[in-house]
Amino acid sequence: MTVVGTSVRRADGDAKVRGTAVYGMDYTEPCALVVRVLRSSVPAARITRLDTSRAEKIPGVRAVATAADTPGLSGMLVLKDQTVFARDEIRYVGEPIAAVAADTIEQADAAIAAIELEVDPLEPVYDLEASLADDARVIHPDWESYETFLDGPRGGNLAWEARVERGDVEAAFASAHLVVEDEYRTPRQHQCSIEPHAAVARYEQGRYIVHTPTQFPFLVRGRVAELLGVRPSDVRVVVPAIGGGFGGKLDAMLEPMACVLARKAGRPVRVVNSRAEEQATCGPRENAIVRLRTAVAKDGTILAQEGVILCDNGANSSGETVACANLAPLALGGTYRIPSARYVSKVVYTNTVPTAAFRGVNGNYCVFAQEMHLDHIARELGIDRRELRLRNVLKAGEQMVNGQQLDDAFLEQALAKADEIAPWEELTAARRPLRGVAVVPMTWITNPGPSGATVKLGEDGTVTVTCAAAEIGTGGVATGIRQIVADELGVPFEDVLVTPADTDAAGYDHGAQGSRTTFGTGSAALDAAAQVREQVLDVAGGMLEASPEDLELVDGHVGVVGVPGRRVSLAAVAATAMWSSGPISAAGKFVAPPVPFDAGCMVGAALTHFSAASYHAHLAEVEIDPDTGRVRVTRYVVVQDVGRAINPQMIEGQIQGGVAQGIGYALYENLRISDGVVVDSGLETYRLPTALDVPPIEIAILENPCSYGPLGAKGVAEPSIIPVAAVIGCAVADAIGTPLQSLPLTPFDVLAALRHRDQEISPRD
Amino acid sequence: MSYAFTLNGRGVDVDVPGLTPLLEVLREHLGLTGAKPGCGEGRCGACTVLLDDQPVVSCLLPGSAVEGRSVRTVESLAGADGPLSPVQDALLDAGGVQCGACIPGMAMTLTAVLEQSRDLSEETVRQSLTGNICRCTGYQKIVDAALRAAGTDGGHR
Repeated sequence: MTVVGTSVRRADGDAKVRGTAVYGMDYTEPCALVVRVLRSSVPAARITRLDTSRAEKIPGVRAVATAADTPGLSGMLVLKDQTVFARDEIRYVGEPIAAVAADTIEQADAAIAAIELEVDPLEPVYDLEASLADDARVIHPDWESYETFLDGPRGGNLAWEARVERGDVEAAFASAHLVVEDEYRTPRQHQCSIEPHAAVARYEQGRYIVHTPTQFPFLVRGRVAELLGVRPSDVRVVVPAIGGGFGGKLDAMLEPMACVLARKAGRPVRVVNSRAEEQATCGPRENAIVRLRTAVAKDGTILAQEGVILCDNGANSSGETVACANLAPLALGGTYRIPSARYVSKVVYTNTVPTAAFRGVNGNYCVFAQEMHLDHIARELGIDRRELRLRNVLKAGEQMVNGQQLDDAFLEQALAKADEIAPWEELTAARRPLRGVAVVPMTWITNPGPSGATVKLGEDGTVTVTCAAAEIGTGGVATGIRQIVADELGVPFEDVLVTPADTDAAGYDHGAQGSRTTFGTGSAALDAAAQVREQVLDVAGGMLEASPEDLELVDGHVGVVGVPGRRVSLAAVAATAMWSSGPISAAGKFVAPPVPFDAGCMVGAALTHFSAASYHAHLAEVEIDPDTGRVRVTRYVVVQDVGRAINPQMIEGQIQGGVAQGIGYALYENLRISDGVVVDSGLETYRLPTALDVPPIEIAILENPCSYGPLGAKGVAEPSIIPVAAVIGCAVADAIGTPLQSLPLTPFDVLAALRHRDQEISPRD
Repeated sequence: MSYAFTLNGRGVDVDVPGLTPLLEVLREHLGLTGAKPGCGEGRCGACTVLLDDQPVVSCLLPGSAVEGRSVRTVESLAGADGPLSPVQDALLDAGGVQCGACIPGMAMTLTAVLEQSRDLSEETVRQSLTGNICRCTGYQKIVDAALRAAGTDGGHR
């Protein structure tokens, strides 16, 4: 009996439905102090005086920390321009200036009020285009001194640039039948995990021990160490249950503050964000401007494309925006055949809260722009929109814009499957006013990052996996890794345990990001389990006086194939091994293998290619209320290539959840900033999709295996959000006859477009 | 102030300022951390408990307002080491749980719906869940769970 391919219940589910699971927001330690943070109320200023001496004398105050306590500069993987606390210069509203640990909240609040801060205001820079102007004030005057992980174009308020250039762009434009040009603007989107950020730290034996609901424990460990100026091994990160992340809990946020306060106070400290702090200070998806210019032949064949992507880094690179800069060109040039291309992805400093990773990262707005733009081309040429895509979509063996050959491209198949479910011809033939439809294909990456995992056989025949993969809710740890290991060792699903992520116990893991847990950590665990299997067969062979080739692992036993009853339990194998060969265990490892691409066509690219690429098609039907401008999604279809479906129900859950977040991005969510202040400080005005906003989603799972994924599996969780705004944007344009060039597609924008259209078609006399 | 109420079927006395939100009373003073502080402003519903069988957001409810009344939290749905309630069971069967932070609130809302409704449709379940935000699942499997639970326990108590 195998468990891979079945919708087994998640292993952490019982505690979650009983309310007994201990999340980061629930965790505490004896006599933990409370924390308050003094944050800047101005967007840009020079600190002329910071005096905490009065605050320190307030009864119950155990520690006050400032930039003087945190010497390091750090950043998310690529560019090190971030401090824990503002040092000399303030760069955004909400930037930490000092933090206080005290016995009670009242004491901590009093201490915050007693901190003396004087500043000289500087001219704030908010706008992406203005920030890049020659006369803009430089937000990081010391930019040249910052350490970087790789070389890339940058300078002044241009934090980073990634470029892809291939083919003869000028010649293609010169020979084009038609050139089409568009600009699109997209807002910030907040992850809004139900659980806010939280951290509990203590300082013990000269080391920092921090419990935090992070997606990427080894990153938090490294970042805390760098910011505090200590070795990574001086920091231990332990992960309780995580109440949602979606990219927002990858980077160190509260942990460095908690650690330094714990050291100074000599007591554990606990810090939990309020929702207002969450909205105002935790990095959201970046706002962006995408400009596309495309040369096409008469039949709609894309000859060349130029793209400029401006995206907002905010005040520093503490989030993943710089690291993912090159995903913008790959998203633009990963689905369609674009023989000549010039893409420039610019990450721009502004005096706003730093932006960060959110599911789909830089891809969502690029796919929105590309698909809206293709519809524009289709209109100009009078070609059916689906047909235009079929003519240009990448086929197996063809190359992405980076020169990477997609041997397993499956986009045509995904589009064909979508057509089976919702035939395009019928949908477009049945067109009615104020109803629209669109279909969009997409290629996406599985994060290739490394993982270590160990597997041991317990004396009772159970199996324990030790790894630093964090279960953020996807089921990667709660089901995926367990299912893979259970089948490899022939044990029941329930007999596979996974230790909670702890950087002291487990090997490196690249975090729960980019759909990589079941794929990457699952591969490492499978590698370890395969070695354990060898050891088990060796010992059992001796016990059963049989050759290992004649043995099978089933139901927690090792048996001789074809000889019923001739078997020993794994518990017996473990006991025998104990005093003969020694306890059974093995360490496994994984990193995605390199794939060939044209390295010469890119600069500033931290992510150069799509590993374990997966292929998708989304179809949406929408209906517009002509009185309110409200958009209702009436039908939604997802066809997704997952390589191999380890747990179909969990895959459906990832698709449904990703589409819901995408509907939020398309129609409702917009984290507004005014004069540097986050306007949407709570969930009253920051509108999240509810149960009434998300339609049932028709799902087809395709299995197009990846040669280096565990059992053929590819990443699943991330991509379902990415084409949603694109397909809804295109469907809305179809419904109202006017494309809206910015997100979200608000009722106001829809109504204005309808009114504009009605004026255009009414007689002018 | 001190006041008394019934919590998960047993009488409790607390002595905390009357305006302290019920959520804080439960979590900080009574050791029940099942209800979650998702937003603290009554929007996300992760803190939902039943007050005299009606779902309420405990983060906005002054603790003293429950004096003499009956409060049920997610911890009441199943015995500590007993089998899961039909709603809890269905949430896991249907795959309605991902990160799980919204689930204590979802489970309480759905429990109330199942106790009170004779005819559950997908639409009525979705209507009832508008005060409970889930950022992970897209709601479908939570809705499926409610309909499944309505089938298993009849939903006709």
